[in-house]
Amino acid sequence: MSDCQGLGDCDDTRMQRIYEYLDGALTREDLKEIKHHLDGCPECAEQYDLECVIRTLVKRSCTEAAPENLKNSILERIHSIKPVDV
Amino acid sequence: MTLLKDREELLDPVLVLQPASRKVTVDLKTMSTMDPAAAATYPAAGAEDAVDDASPSGDVGVDLETETPEQRRLRFERDAMQYVDQLYSAAMRMARNPSDAEDLVQEAYTKAFSAFHQYKPGTNLKAWLYRILTNTYINLYRKRQREPLQSNSDTIEDWQLARAESHTSAGLRSAEAEALDHLPDSDVKKALQAIPEEFRLAVYFADVEGYAYKEISEIMNTPIGTVMSRLHRGRRMLRDMLADYAAERGFKARTEDQAPAGSITQEKQK
Repeated sequence: MSDCQGLGDCDDTRMQRIYEYLDGALTREDLKEIKHHLDGCPECAEQYDLECVIRTLVKRSCTEAAPENLKNSILERIHSIKPVDV
Repeated sequence: MTLLKDREELLDPVLVLQPASRKVTVDLKTMSTMDPAAAATYPAAGAEDAVDDASPSGDVGVDLETETPEQRRLRFERDAMQYVDQLYSAAMRMARNPSDAEDLVQEAYTKAFSAFHQYKPGTNLKAWLYRILTNTYINLYRKRQREPLQSNSDTIEDWQLARAESHTSAGLRSAEAEALDHLPDSDVKKALQAIPEEFRLAVYFADVEGYAYKEISEIMNTPIGTVMSRLHRGRRMLRDMLADYAAERGFKARTEDQAPAGSITQEKQK
């Protein structure tokens, strides 16, 4: 793990900043600041990279197609429900 | 355990949907669901677009007052049915097998259809459906199973975080990113299944759907701070497990001393 203090003085804080950056949960100024830091700090950039890889892995692995009959079963069920007029 | 209790206090999932979905657009101006780099380039756009990105533009002009039940059914089929694959993928992270996941999705869609008059056109329909799915899972499906939480977060958290510390002191190298990238989907799914479900779902919604913390907090009915801490812990656990799997498969990530490969998986399988 990075020993760089640029994003915070403890490991948890640093990772939290990296997660917030990854999740796009920062104000514009913070985004710029962190991007600037990552550009100049290989250690933190490496942490960020690794989290990006994991995010991509999760996304790739969890994108599944529903069984073909599922959509039809849902439609059948919906058609058997008497619509409520509210 | 307290997390579960909080969520079980929910009443009918349908009842809690409306106020929350109204709040979706609040507070997002300072946050963005865009790629950080893109957000930096296009500062002011993004946030509000992202909220509505899942809504077909056609549904905004719907007049709920005059819409007939048949028109509503057609609108549901047109707008909601396109998300079956996504809801199924999420349900696979909740249920333990494909058949249960199918039941869960079917149940959620049935509830969503019955409550569709409460959905506010123009808001994020997919997030609304996810919320119903999550509530269905918590309130109905899991209760029916009459089983305790599949893992005790507190206990796992302690030893997982202890492990995370040992990893951090060893230092991770970018070769590790390379190694993780070669892991098969089955390993990633296995690792996800092994982390506590509230962490797993937060990671799913953030990483797969790219939802903002605010949106995840509404889908999971938890405060934003809780979402952030679940994500933080979930990601650290996931990262450690994936590193172990990579080591087991012989994808050598680094030359430093490595924690004994497989220690987590062995614990998990007990």
